[in-house]
Amino acid sequence: MVALMVVVVAAVALLGVLVTGLLRSHADILSALHALGAGVGDPSREPEAGSPLSTPARPVPVSFGPPLPAERSSTAPDLAGVTPGGDAVALAMGTGADTLLAFLSSGCTTCEGFWSALGSAHGSLLPADLRLVVVTKGPELESPPAVRALAKGAVEVVMSTSAWVDYEVPGSPFFALVDGTRAARIGEGFAGSLEQVLGLVAQARRDRVGGPGSGRAATPAGRGSPGPPAVTGLTGPERERDNDERLLAAGIGPGHPSLYPAKLGDVLAPTVPVAGASGEG
Amino acid sequence: MGVIRSHGIEMAVPAGCEARIFRRPPVAGAATYPVVHLATFPLPGDVGDFGNGAVQVMGGNDVFVVLFEYGPESVGQALFARQGMPRALAPSDFQPYRLRQGVGGRSGTQWFFVEAGRPFSLYAVLGSHARRATLVPRLNGLLAGIAVQPAPPATLGGGWN
Repeated sequence: MVALMVVVVAAVALLGVLVTGLLRSHADILSALHALGAGVGDPSREPEAGSPLSTPARPVPVSFGPPLPAERSSTAPDLAGVTPGGDAVALAMGTGADTLLAFLSSGCTTCEGFWSALGSAHGSLLPADLRLVVVTKGPELESPPAVRALAKGAVEVVMSTSAWVDYEVPGSPFFALVDGTRAARIGEGFAGSLEQVLGLVAQARRDRVGGPGSGRAATPAGRGSPGPPAVTGLTGPERERDNDERLLAAGIGPGHPSLYPAKLGDVLAPTVPVAGASGEG
Repeated sequence: MGVIRSHGIEMAVPAGCEARIFRRPPVAGAATYPVVHLATFPLPGDVGDFGNGAVQVMGGNDVFVVLFEYGPESVGQALFARQGMPRALAPSDFQPYRLRQGVGGRSGTQWFFVEAGRPFSLYAVLGSHARRATLVPRLNGLLAGIAVQPAPPATLGGGWN
């Protein structure tokens, strides 16, 4: 009996040591992430003095998948690919009329709503002078029958992996608005609802430099900007400086709590979901 | 410049041009064959095989090309005696009365031939007959980028478009 008690006590003690070690390891990892700038929540707590993490924190980009260029291009290359039915198609982007490119997938949940919404709403909701083209990855990465079933022939669909590369598409659903007079992107970004897309189109067209057809929008796609009118026609570094100045003017400097959201809802404004959409794709 | 290929036809599409290589769904059991549209202007969504709907909206500086394949039984017929697609058209080949549908100021040309054992008709339209000396070299440049491969045996069969 005594021997059994000794064994039980020893086992409990061993488990306690293991649990303590795991918790300590977990805490170290969280602390390291905070120090690297990748934490979520209040970053004000500094690492303990003398720890290897007490050196000044420096921002480290957190990315998923292949790294994107530091400054995205505004060019709008022509499209070349195939249709879900196996025909070939080449579309020019600098032919005068604006084009809205909807980069969708057959597998993403959010895209499901767009497939049906864009097909049915194209004629009624989008501007009449806007050409809508849905772009999926090529047949080597997408299932043509699945795309054909989703498209239902209502919209122009081009299957082209090279288009996803040319337009630096980070994921789907992603939208790019092309100024047809210059073959240049004047707006781009993710959208979770058709309302966001319509907002993107309207905003980007309003922000054109010098009026319709002459410039690039400075407002990020899919995000309304209730403040003063955006300065347009800026290069990437100039736009970055302009953003910093505007944030500082609004009292938002380095370390401001709004720059460290605790949850996703603090970043994304509530939107009206697309019918049928049930999650992020 | 992008390259598109389908139905045994490959085409280099210069920047700013639009093109389609398509095959209409068979109707009432009749076989259909590939059609190529190549234009220097935005192609409308629903264009007839020989350009109805596109020719009407093209500008004076535009050109439009149709490559229309016929059934293999056409090979050997007198109409398709020419071997090889014409790729060096002359301004004198274009006449307003050669348009399938008359549109003021435009002109066209049509040729029947066999390329890679496949019978085709080439139909080309200039946006302005008066500018044919400038537009025809541009059109010839487009034709130079079209390549036709022999049809695979499985696609050979009777029927007309």
